[in-house]
Order: sequence, then C-alpha cells, then structure tokens
Amino acid sequence: MVDAVLSARNLVKVYGGRRGQTQVQALTDVSIDLERGRTLGVVGESGCGKSTLARLLVGLEAPDSGSLLIDGDTIEMDERGSRVSLARKIQLVFQDPFSSLDPRLTVEKALGEVLRVHHLHVGSVAARVTELLAMVGLTGRFAARYPHELSGGQAQRVAVARALAVEPEILVLDEPTSALDVSVRAEIINLLVRIQDELKLSYLFISHDLSMVRHISDEIAVMYLGRVVESGRYDQVLGTSLHPYTAALADAIALPDPVHERARSAAGISTTSLQGQAVTAGCPYAPRCPRVEETCRRELPRLAEAAPGHLVACPVALRRG
Amino acid sequence: MTQPLLEIRDLHIGIARRHGADEIVRGVNISVEPGEKLGIVGESGSGKTLTMLAVLRLLASPPLRVLKGEILLDGEDLALVDDARLRQVRGGEIAFVYQDPMSSLNPLLLVGRQVEETLRAHGATKAAAAARTGEVLTQVGLADPDRVRRSYPHQLSGGMIQRVMIAMALATSPRLLIADEPTTALDVTIQRQILELVTSLQEQTSMAVLWVTHDLGVVASLVDRVAVMYAGRVVEMAPTEQLFARPTHPYTSALLQSLPGTGSDHRSPLHQIGGTPPDPTRLSGGCPFRVRCPYAEDTCAQGEPDLIDRGQGSLAACWKDPSQW
Repeated sequence: MVDAVLSARNLVKVYGGRRGQTQVQALTDVSIDLERGRTLGVVGESGCGKSTLARLLVGLEAPDSGSLLIDGDTIEMDERGSRVSLARKIQLVFQDPFSSLDPRLTVEKALGEVLRVHHLHVGSVAARVTELLAMVGLTGRFAARYPHELSGGQAQRVAVARALAVEPEILVLDEPTSALDVSVRAEIINLLVRIQDELKLSYLFISHDLSMVRHISDEIAVMYLGRVVESGRYDQVLGTSLHPYTAALADAIALPDPVHERARSAAGISTTSLQGQAVTAGCPYAPRCPRVEETCRRELPRLAEAAPGHLVACPVALRRG
Repeated sequence: MTQPLLEIRDLHIGIARRHGADEIVRGVNISVEPGEKLGIVGESGSGKTLTMLAVLRLLASPPLRVLKGEILLDGEDLALVDDARLRQVRGGEIAFVYQDPMSSLNPLLLVGRQVEETLRAHGATKAAAAARTGEVLTQVGLADPDRVRRSYPHQLSGGMIQRVMIAMALATSPRLLIADEPTTALDVTIQRQILELVTSLQEQTSMAVLWVTHDLGVVASLVDRVAVMYAGRVVEMAPTEQLFARPTHPYTSALLQSLPGTGSDHRSPLHQIGGTPPDPTRLSGGCPFRVRCPYAEDTCAQGEPDLIDRGQGSLAACWKDPSQW
C-alpha cells in the first residue's frame, strides 16, 4: 500500500448546463494518488481537464461528486474550516507569475499577507520573509521590490516562496515554467527539485512539456477528455507507453534534434488526425485512434494493470502489448 | 550569386530621445533566399518580433522607429515605397501570421468573408475570391471548409483558427511567409499538424518562410537555417544541423544544454545559464552575453564582436573559437 499524502477518488466536474447551456464534462471519474515526497506529473492537451483537476485539488472549486483525502482524511469541501486547513496543506503555483502576484504589493507585503491570514506571524514577519526568500534563492533586498521590478524567473521564485509560506505538504504546480524564457526554465526546475528534497514536499506537476514532465516526475498520469487513460512510473508511461494517445502525444513533440526531425519527415510519419468528435459511447479516443477496433466504439475501457503500477485504459494495447 | 528575396541590412530600431536614442534592435543583418526556410530564435526582448514588424512597417510608431538600416524586397527599399505599393506588399508578396490567432480575426465577421476580403484587397473579383477561399481552406486541411466559412471565429478551435490564418496568408500566393510564434499557444499535437502543413505547402509553392520562435524543437523540425538573436543582435547564424551539432556561440550552446533531454539524468540538476537576459537599452559596452558567459575574458568587455566565420556555414558574434572554450 502506498503512503498517499493526497488521494482523489472518482472526481466528477461538469460545467454549464443551466438554462440550456451546453454541458461540458471537464472531469469524468478521475482518481489519483500522490505519494508522500514524490512528484506526480499530469499531461494532456488543453481541454483534457488537467487544470480543472488542479482547481479541485486546492479547493478553488468543489467537485460535483467524488472525494478528496489528505493524509487519509476526507476533506469536506463545503465547510470553511475544512477549506482553510486544506490551504495549509496544499498550495498552488500558477503559470504566469506576473498575473498571480498583486502589482501593488511589494514582495514583503505579498508574503506577509499570507503569514497574517494564516496566523503564522509569530515573531518578526520581516525575518520570516527573508527566510522564505532565501529558500528560493533570493536575497533579502528583493523584499522591497514590486513585481514589475522582477524578471520572470525572479517573480516565479517569489510565487514559489509565497506558496511555501504556509509550510504546505503539497504543491500543485500548474505549468510553472511555460511562461518563462527558455534560459530561465532550467533554474526554476532545479529550484523545485532542490526545495522538494529539502522540505520533503509532494508535487503535482501539470504541464504539456513532456520532456520537462519526464525530467521531474516520479509518476505520470496522462489525461484525455476528462479521464486518466494511462498512469505509472515515468519511465513506464513515457518509455514503454501503451495507450495510443500517449504515443501520439510523445510523437507530436518537436525535439531539439534536427537529425531525428528530418528522419521523421523522410519516413512520412504523421500523427495528423482530425479533432475528436463528440463521443456518446465507447472509448473517447476512438475517433482519433489509429488502432481502433469495433469494440472500442461500444465499450468504455477501464484502467487495467499492464505491469505492476502501470495502468492503461485500452484493451487493445493491453492485449497486443 | 542570386539576389536574396528579403534582405535586412544593418537594421537599428529604437525609441528616439531628445539626445540620441534607446536602441532595442542594434544592427541586424538577415537575408532570406527565395524558397528558403529561415528560423529566428530568441528570448522575449531579444528584438526578434520588432525586426519582423519593421519589415512590413508595422512598428508602433511613435515611440518606436527605424533609426538606421534598409529592408530590401528583391532590391526594392520598403522604407521608400508609397502607401499603395506598401498595401500590395503587405498580405500580397509578404504574408504575416501572428502568435495569437484568436485576436487576429475580426470576431464580428464570418471567417469566409475575412479570407475573401484579403483577396479582394489584392485585386481578385468577387467570384474569384470566393472560389480561391474554398480552395485555400481545403488546402490547409480543414475537414469541412464550407462550415468553417460560415462560422464566426469564436465557433472554431485555436488550431482551426490558426489554419484559417495560414489559409488567409497563403491565399494571395505570397513569396514570403513571416510567422511570429504561430504555434506557441497551441497543443503539441496541433503544433505538429501545423508544422507538417507548412512544410508540405512550402514544398508545393516554394515560397520562403521566416519563422520566429523560442522553441528549439520547432526550429529543428522546420527550418534550413537559423539566426539566434540576443539583446537586439544576431549572435549566431548557421545551418540547422550545424547549429545543433556544433553551436559556435556560447549562448546557443548554453540554451541547448539547458534542455532536459532523453539522455539527461532523471531529476539531476539541469544546466543553468544564470543571470537574466539584459535590457538592450542599458548595455555597458562589450559583448552583452559576457556577464552570463562561462568563457568570458577581459577582451569581451572591450568590444562587441561582429559575426565571425567559424566554418561549415556557421557565423558567431564571439571572439573565441569553440575549440578554445
């Protein structure tokens, strides 16, 4: 049995549906386990529900059904006390640091606010702010700066420091490097790995950059249209991927390797497929799938174990390997 | 020696002040041969987008203006042409695709009408414009071109809109397509489709492509030759294979090393460049990369090198040969 610091069980979230609006099923029965001190990477295209999952996990929204367990305790999303204690344990770092930091607050005020809201300002706020900044590799002189006086990398460090202020157990990182310049991405990833080891944090790392996800994650979950279609150890999911969608996703990435890319165009390998149509029955990936079989259109595949810890929701892949 | 299709000569762009000017683009030389695919790589603030906007005289002016330099299309100086000729060039001979497709179309007009409008502006008759619109929408691989024509932009997905933008750009059979990060906002699967689409269309029509991006993966899969920009200048220019196999500027080399590759150790520290990209208006003389460069010496503070030939088609603005690193 794994020591899960965070578990989500059968989360469902539907948007819209009121007064004749079209319903959007953002999450359809998603269950995940985040092991203590480890990193779970979540990948998928836009609209697959990965950001909705993040919002449910940090309590920004309540699921329509399903449950959330932290350290084995169920979180009641409709109780304010429960939500506050949730915020103490789990924090979110957003993609764009400049839109997640208040432009009118200095770094010290932004961090101090968190400490005051959670009654964590025993002793000097200034001293704690300096300590938090040191954790993310910034000197105390950044305390007096406003967000516009920071570079992208520095602002993302401040956003991480703010998340660390409540001494959480879990960080949900929603595309934390996507908005940054290529030359500063590596330093943010290195920082995240370092503080995870130092503070024994658990990460949920959401990204569409598969090479970054592969680099940082212990476990990876691949999402497609509101479901997890494959999950397992990073080298299982991205090394010996089974689901045709995972394979297509990995194949679509433009690698910084012209030899590989030229070979691709010479061989005429193409992942081109049309956008999925609305699916009423069967596997949601069936309309795009190159390995589709008749049963795929009738029966919804369930996650099944292909190897210890490696789950895949595709009977065809499971059968043929 | 054939004449380049587009030649940017010693381009300087900046904000004019009472005394002198703040330069943001500081002497860019780029030429594109007919039918060539050239990539321009750089981080935000490196001047890559301003350079492209200047080609079509689209700089936000004031405050920005071309301080010096020439932009020649087939030898014709685009700074000197009159408005009528400029309208012919824009969208006619040179087409432009922007990063954010959603904000490039008019939300109040049907998509088909907007493509037709472009063609009409370039002299097509109503019937010819309508026919050509159907043709290009099919050519870019839209599954149901008739439905797309009768749709408003909000009814289409990001990938479909970007195809429409490319269709609109191609409609007039331009000789040069300038694309400014057209796939950055899209998913990798859609990006792959767009890259394949542009590659195949380029082969069919032999137009030249100038592709601006910060994604080295896109560069590797699409272009023949790459210009790397840093702090308002081109610091390396090389054939794509050469650039990846044997970078000759320390900045390019550091960028390539910072990427997590399949060969890098899981969770081991990635190669960091350190420091931040400089503000081109506040340079202190010397090579702008020297403060972040592992190979910097005293000479690097004294003068800013021009592009130096490093063999096998590679040019780098660095005093040191890679063998001395």
